[in-house]
Amino acid sequence: MGGRDTDIVLLDENGIRSDGRKVNETRKVTIKAGVLKNANGSAYIEFGDNKILVGVYGPRDVHPKHLSDTDTGILRCRYHMVPFSVGERKKPAPSRREVEISKVIKEALEPAVMLKEFPRTAVDVYMEVLQADGGTRCAALTGASVALADAGIPMRDLVAGCAAGKAADAVILDVNNEEDQAGQADLPIGYMPNLKKITLLQLDGVLTPEEYKQCIEIGIDGCNQVYEIQKKALQDKFFSNGEKQ
Amino acid sequence: MSSERKRHVIPGEVITSGPYRSEQNTIQVGENIVSTIVGLSDVHDGSVRVIPLTGGYMPKDDDLVIGKIVSHSSLSWTADINSCYAGMLPASDVFGRDYSSSSDDMTAKLAKGDLIAARIVNADKTRDPLITISGRELGKIDSGELVKISPNKVPRLIGKRGSMIQMIESSTNSQITIGQNGLLVVSSEDPNGLLKAIRAIELIEEQAHVANLTDQVNEMLESKSE
Amino acid sequence: MSDGLIIDQLKKTQILELLQEGKRVDGRQFEEPRKLSIDVGVIPKAEGSARARLGDTEVVAGVKVQPERPFPDTGDKGMLICTAEILPIAHSTAETGPPQPDVVELARVTDRGIRESGMLDMKQLVLEKDKSVIGIFCDNAVTDHDGNLFDACSYASTAAINSCKIPKYEMQDERPVKIEDEFIEPPITTLPVSVTMAKIGDFILVDPTIEEWGIMDARITITSNSDGNVVALQKGGSDGFTQEELIKCAELSIKVGSKIREIIKQSKQSDN
Repeated sequence: MGGRDTDIVLLDENGIRSDGRKVNETRKVTIKAGVLKNANGSAYIEFGDNKILVGVYGPRDVHPKHLSDTDTGILRCRYHMVPFSVGERKKPAPSRREVEISKVIKEALEPAVMLKEFPRTAVDVYMEVLQADGGTRCAALTGASVALADAGIPMRDLVAGCAAGKAADAVILDVNNEEDQAGQADLPIGYMPNLKKITLLQLDGVLTPEEYKQCIEIGIDGCNQVYEIQKKALQDKFFSNGEKQ
Repeated sequence: MSSERKRHVIPGEVITSGPYRSEQNTIQVGENIVSTIVGLSDVHDGSVRVIPLTGGYMPKDDDLVIGKIVSHSSLSWTADINSCYAGMLPASDVFGRDYSSSSDDMTAKLAKGDLIAARIVNADKTRDPLITISGRELGKIDSGELVKISPNKVPRLIGKRGSMIQMIESSTNSQITIGQNGLLVVSSEDPNGLLKAIRAIELIEEQAHVANLTDQVNEMLESKSE
Repeated sequence: MSDGLIIDQLKKTQILELLQEGKRVDGRQFEEPRKLSIDVGVIPKAEGSARARLGDTEVVAGVKVQPERPFPDTGDKGMLICTAEILPIAHSTAETGPPQPDVVELARVTDRGIRESGMLDMKQLVLEKDKSVIGIFCDNAVTDHDGNLFDACSYASTAAINSCKIPKYEMQDERPVKIEDEFIEPPITTLPVSVTMAKIGDFILVDPTIEEWGIMDARITITSNSDGNVVALQKGGSDGFTQEELIKCAELSIKVGSKIREIIKQSKQSDN
């Protein structure tokens, strides 16, 4: 969490944020399903200036065999940033941050994904961040859900991601990079919209109990908005050019 | 109970509520029956299922599949059957029960890269499914062109009581072996017929969800264009 | 990586039969590369970027520029490093973890092709001799693999570097400081373009697909520059080329390369 001194006005007297948004507005989100030729399922998501490409392979054979489970398929996730995705070039090898985010996203998807029908196999989710601007883990999670649905992996629900936070003493929705650097709190959320369960939750910063409640509320609202975009991406790919049978 | 209109659904979406049986690709959540995949919901006689529009092939007993030999041991060949589970073809299926085969014997019969038409004998998921190539129209495939489509388009390609596939075969003078796993082998004496058959298959894969598909395919087959 | 790919017998036979008739499976001529489209500026926050689509193969290259300490023996030149990785989304057999030999080869061949051509006049990228120079990194990420990654990475890199904007730096108190919103044009001297050819029997095929790659006997990647000179070479595969074949390959790569160079030039103009 930043809290760095900045010349940028995070919130002006009219309640407008540095990028022109209101406190409860998410950045522009677009998602396209089925963008890769080889992957079993895929999605490309732009969440503000974040650009993330997700590919899913599976269910498929597990190597080495000792990693597989005889009772169920396993879910493996890799969140990775390409070297040119951030301000200062990032070396290709996975950082500890990427390892942690990979784990947190896996645990956000596991409640949704149903792999008992595929013993001894794995479903691999690869999220590649091509350009980062704050909130990449929520965007990656959002794209991953669409890619999994595109691949035909059975799921109880989709998982939508959006972060809430605090900047200039106000609770805000969808923290961008500037606000993350200079703000007071960042709370990424992953949410299953139909089952109404939160499956990803982290906090970086300081919140009073009241602010915490508000963040969760506004964050769930953001996730519901993101869910509509996920739905649209799948509808556009599978249901658009033709009538029902 | 009457059949409801088929609907497009995505994972997590509620299809219906009340006293229905949850069948393929659905789960019961409280009062609701919910879809677990992207597909078309089908409510019929008190049960609810979803017809998938995407997803891979899961081996089922008696399915005819096209496989590619990828390796062998002294006891069996392993075949890639376009699924997360590989097909196991025991040596005894080809050589008989008492014959003990050497590696050369194995490769002489079926080598890496060979294509086979096989039937799933035993598809329990605790191990790789057993397959057999002894049977009518089964065995090594020597000629033809291999075409791959999404396995959930196969029913559309076959059509009601085989009507679609027969229409393509007869109007293009070709023979099409359809694997339930989405792999097909198309052969024809007539190279133009072969091309037309393949184009018809590609059309069905693209437009499987469209209502007037049969008309579209008919039109394509009857057109004079090569 | 595609060494693990088993091409089925029917397809192998089909490819070979068609070659005897002078045809390729996808209808191309032997000397014809697949359709190439290049978009630059796809990653606006990077100093340069390009997405190259060669048939169904897709590569995204990003250019990052930052001040670096020079290598001890080249204090009068800027630094240029190209890398390449096959992302696991690109193919079912692509692995994560430390790069396999074929990926290391891809990265090094891409790097040599750009660097040995002298594409950038590195002498113009010095801030203070022996102390501070401009470092240019061009990282290639393969997002979809349908054969011939060498050429796809070459085109993405050349297009990305050709269209990049180098921030202006000034030395202040012995340290390089970026001047906001001021840029310099990259000192481009030439546009290197690689062309990869597969040898199947006696046939030489330009821009092999992943299936042709799977049954080829040998391959060669030849990079040429805007003057029509050969600047980098890499032969691979387990068979050999005859002398005549090598001369033919060089001629082919210069001829095919010059057409591709035009596409790369166009990509920069359509961005402006």
